[in-house]
Amino acid sequence: MDSQMNELYGNNGPKQVHFSPYAFNGGTVLAVAGEDFAVVASDTRLSEGFSIHSRDTPKTYKLSDKTVLGSCGFHGDVLTLTKVIGARLKMFEHSHNKKMSTSSIAAMLSTMLYYKRFFPYYVYNIIGGIDDEGKGCVYSFDPVGSYEREAYRAGGSASSMLQPLLDNQIGFKNQEGATVVPLSKEKAVALVKDVFISAAERDIYTGDAIIVQVVTKDGVKTEQFPLRKD
Amino acid sequence: MALGSICGLQTMTKLNSSLRENCNLLNSQDSAFVNEAIYGSENFVTPRDIDILSNQKNLTDKDSNVKIHFDHGTTTLAFKFKHGVIVAVDSRATAGPYIASQTVKKVIEINPYLLGTMAGGAADCSFWERHLAKECRLHELRNKERISVAAASKLLANTVYNYKGMGLSMGTMIVGWDKKGPGLYYVDSDGERMKNNMFSVGSGSTYAYGVLDSGYKWNLSVEEAYDLGKRAIYHATHRDAYSGGVVNLYHMKESGWIKVSQTDVKELHYQYQEEKSRRR
Amino acid sequence: MSILDYNGAAIMAMKGKDCVAIAADRRFGVQAQTVSMDFDKIFEMGPHLYIGLPGLATDVQTVSQRLNFRLKMYELRENRKIKPKTFMSMVSNLLYERRFGPYFVEPVIAGLDPKTFQPFIASMDLIGCPMITDDFVVSGTCSEQMYGMCESLWEPNLEPEDLFETISQALMNAFDRDAVSGWGAVVYIIEKDKVTKRLLKTRMD
Repeated sequence: MDSQMNELYGNNGPKQVHFSPYAFNGGTVLAVAGEDFAVVASDTRLSEGFSIHSRDTPKTYKLSDKTVLGSCGFHGDVLTLTKVIGARLKMFEHSHNKKMSTSSIAAMLSTMLYYKRFFPYYVYNIIGGIDDEGKGCVYSFDPVGSYEREAYRAGGSASSMLQPLLDNQIGFKNQEGATVVPLSKEKAVALVKDVFISAAERDIYTGDAIIVQVVTKDGVKTEQFPLRKD
Repeated sequence: MALGSICGLQTMTKLNSSLRENCNLLNSQDSAFVNEAIYGSENFVTPRDIDILSNQKNLTDKDSNVKIHFDHGTTTLAFKFKHGVIVAVDSRATAGPYIASQTVKKVIEINPYLLGTMAGGAADCSFWERHLAKECRLHELRNKERISVAAASKLLANTVYNYKGMGLSMGTMIVGWDKKGPGLYYVDSDGERMKNNMFSVGSGSTYAYGVLDSGYKWNLSVEEAYDLGKRAIYHATHRDAYSGGVVNLYHMKESGWIKVSQTDVKELHYQYQEEKSRRR
Repeated sequence: MSILDYNGAAIMAMKGKDCVAIAADRRFGVQAQTVSMDFDKIFEMGPHLYIGLPGLATDVQTVSQRLNFRLKMYELRENRKIKPKTFMSMVSNLLYERRFGPYFVEPVIAGLDPKTFQPFIASMDLIGCPMITDDFVVSGTCSEQMYGMCESLWEPNLEPEDLFETISQALMNAFDRDAVSGWGAVVYIIEKDKVTKRLLKTRMD
């Protein structure tokens, strides 16, 4: 059988060629909602397998003065998706003569993701921003558009390390009799930094630096902090 | 345009008819990639020359390094009784063994007289039940009367049937109140649709059925029915790893649905535990 | 699904000031089905020595029994208590004997030296490659979650009571994000002159 194959196809036999339209480029995003603010943060590392492509690729995208998107997974899909969102937001602005609200952007993103249900964007999205009432809000998405409004959410490669800590520190989970104090902006930013430092210790896809975007009614402020680079 | 054509960001021509209506039929290879993508962001996109099912299988495969975790929903139940229909659900979403969320709303409020439940793919359920909400509203505008539960559930069943074999995953109960009184239907992504007095759907459904069957009577009082619904979901969350969080309880009445309660199962557990020790 | 995840478990150990802690969940389940909520995964191997065995439940029990046997033989022959590090080698040896048909457990060891009372913690893979650390070790189905918690909550030189609080919070919040572990937890705080065992009240879903 083998010799017949070799005769037919030359020495190498039949070859099957694979094409995978996806890759995993790592990265972690995180968003926390406060009373009148939201914090969206991400690391800046872009990697594939055991190699690092870039140490300065933030995964947060400012969509408007009230909305920031954190997006990671396959970077190719992230680029396309953010580009299309940008275009859709401009189209909306031109036809309605106003900016799209955070909750509407979330609803739009959900359907955009679902319309690729049969060839999904391999992207984990988290939106942080200010809602119509001026309150901080966070929306988290799965790759095919299931979404939910929450108080805090970690997504991407180190999400499973960060999320239980947020449950504990922001959600006051497993703290019986603890007095629930509203989260201040300073505490939120400090906590975000802490959890990213922890994630960088154990997750090889998270590191280099962290970008923290703080959204308030006055707009978006960006801060950057170094993380370990190994 | 190389990436666009490699990814085959175009419609397969051999799609079944109704899908074709929803899909973008792009044939110009040269049209700008972003234009395609924007168009695609408002319409269904399917890759050409890539088998959807095997493509999806690659993504959800254990060993794949580009594994996509779809959120999956789990225990839901609904039953009819003398005073209407009770709907109770848990609130956990899992991606593999990881608990993605403990706060999912698995009861979808279609309109004041219709509720849908969520089991299977979270995105599939919420998208198609939102789609159903649109169709139901259009029905009202066209016919000047509310849609019947039978018609609404059939609308959903027919919609998902058109996508049969393309990997949709949903198991839902459509609950409502119409001219004929309370209505309860089960609809799933295989195209199944049936009517009954009691259903439970999801990986914890067997546990829920156990409790439901032992406590169910047509003549249950409203309070007894609420308790039964809560208990059934609690016991499912207790034994089934993929169910948990809170119990969301709804009651469908002649005047439409009301949300009865939202109870953390941690509290329910210790409350039931105490009841047990008091009985001893 | 890996055979290591078949029954579900979460175990961690931490070093404190002149003390160590080891904690585990109590679930015994078969994939999604929770069968019992009082399953022992931590075994006493001496007055100051404990081993936690997460993994396939049948191997958890077999390995603990075989270790018990070997430990007794050692103590009879040597007529002295075993040192944690020596015990670690014993576990490693037992596991490597099955290099090509392993026991599906990834042990965690915590203890104090029988003479000097030096704290000691270590973990191992399923074929016995040991890892000794100065802070904490984790093992089980939600190791990522546990790493995330420990990395942020743990600090050096914790007193026994603080160590208890730290390890309890770390464990509970970690397994609350894992479907196949939890359903109660047990914590051992090992000090020079006493060992405290506490059961935690946790979510039961």
